[in-house]
Amino acid sequence: MIQIVTNYGGLLMRAMGQTLLLALCGLFFACILGMFFGLLSVLKSRACNIIASIFVDVIRGVPMIVLAYFVYFGVPYCMNNMFGIPFTLSALQAGTICLALNCGAYMAEIIRAGIQSVDKGQMEAARSLGLPYWRAMVRVVLPQAIRTMIPSIINQFIITLKDTSILSVIGFPELVNSAKNVVANTFMSFQTWGIVAVMYLVIITLLSKLAKILERRLNRGR
Amino acid sequence: MAVNKNNVKIHVSHLKKSFGSLDVLNDISTDIYEGEVVVIIGPSGSGKSTFLRCMNKLEDTTAGDVVVDGVNLSEKKININKVRERVGMVFQHFNLFNNLDVLHNLTLAPVDLKKASKEKAREQAIQMLRKVGLEDKVDAYPSQLSGGQKQRVAIARALCMNPDIMLFDEPTSALDPEMVGEVLQVMKNLAADGMTMVIVTHEIGFAREVADRVLFMDGGYIVEEGTPQEVILNPKEPRTIDFLNKVL
Repeated sequence: MIQIVTNYGGLLMRAMGQTLLLALCGLFFACILGMFFGLLSVLKSRACNIIASIFVDVIRGVPMIVLAYFVYFGVPYCMNNMFGIPFTLSALQAGTICLALNCGAYMAEIIRAGIQSVDKGQMEAARSLGLPYWRAMVRVVLPQAIRTMIPSIINQFIITLKDTSILSVIGFPELVNSAKNVVANTFMSFQTWGIVAVMYLVIITLLSKLAKILERRLNRGR
Repeated sequence: MAVNKNNVKIHVSHLKKSFGSLDVLNDISTDIYEGEVVVIIGPSGSGKSTFLRCMNKLEDTTAGDVVVDGVNLSEKKININKVRERVGMVFQHFNLFNNLDVLHNLTLAPVDLKKASKEKAREQAIQMLRKVGLEDKVDAYPSQLSGGQKQRVAIARALCMNPDIMLFDEPTSALDPEMVGEVLQVMKNLAADGMTMVIVTHEIGFAREVADRVLFMDGGYIVEEGTPQEVILNPKEPRTIDFLNKVL
């Protein structure tokens, strides 16, 4: 155990850094995608609703590991061999795309549900004062929706952080991938995977605590 | 109290409204004049609220015209937000913005729509709160107010846009009986100031006291209309008589 920590501790910490980097990149774009498709699904336009629900259904219906292979191997193959366009994705780029798509779909659902949980009367009252739809949305509906969304969003962030481990299959040097190498070198599976599990546990516990504080702060004055 | 018969504020002609196959309003025509207080009474499902909501386009009309201050709401190319700035609305369930304190409930629209600077909006908000007797609640959140207080804040919020017309959709129906009086009093004061008001209510006594004209609606039609004297004290239509017997 101590041998692993002294010999490979630095490597595992750097891998944890890569995991966090990947999760952060993925989450950033997931928020944008989620917001976009979430808003599309609450608009009064039938076409917008359908586009949003197709996105959510397709992404939700495909396991992330398949999505990862498809984006990292499938798409460049298609570009190179079928269209003759030279195209490659780095593991970080492909990983970010996968996480963004996957988490974005779930975020879209959280945002849709959050907005729909705000009483219709809030929008009507704002509109009846002469506020345009988007102003009413931004000033009245969204601030209330976000409060109810926060716990689900945090939960989704944690799931996404753990999902980065799936991207070890496309060779991104995140924690699980690096741990595999450590095990291959040392044959100490029990110790290595134990340490990795604790590392995930610590990071996620810290995040949950942070989230609780944030949540409490947002709910002040209610 | 003076009704100006030369100035039609809201002109309604042959208004129809359907939700799918359900016809809620069948053929409504009436004119509402400047300074007039019109009270709409009638059984549940008679279309009272829908009619009111057609007056600021919270509901789209199916056929017919609703003309507010010369703007025909049935036309496509109108700026409905401009019309709504002049038509205040008060809801049965108050609909105060839960994320904002009382002051910001009142100043949100005037400031956001650049009707007033922050300072001026604040000043006006406090003046309106004084009008409804709640100037000590500026910093309270809606969740800290009683029903009656919420509704009075909602009225003050609508007044902060300096509307010409106020619409009230069953403003006292969600209140505890002991809080109805305070809200009705605010509305009476408003009527005495000469505000043009359209009120959907079940408070027949209030209608008798404050209305210039009472409309009795049933089945999507205006069945009977006239002064409170005529409609409430001496109704002619059997359906009006039947309804009043049940509620009085």
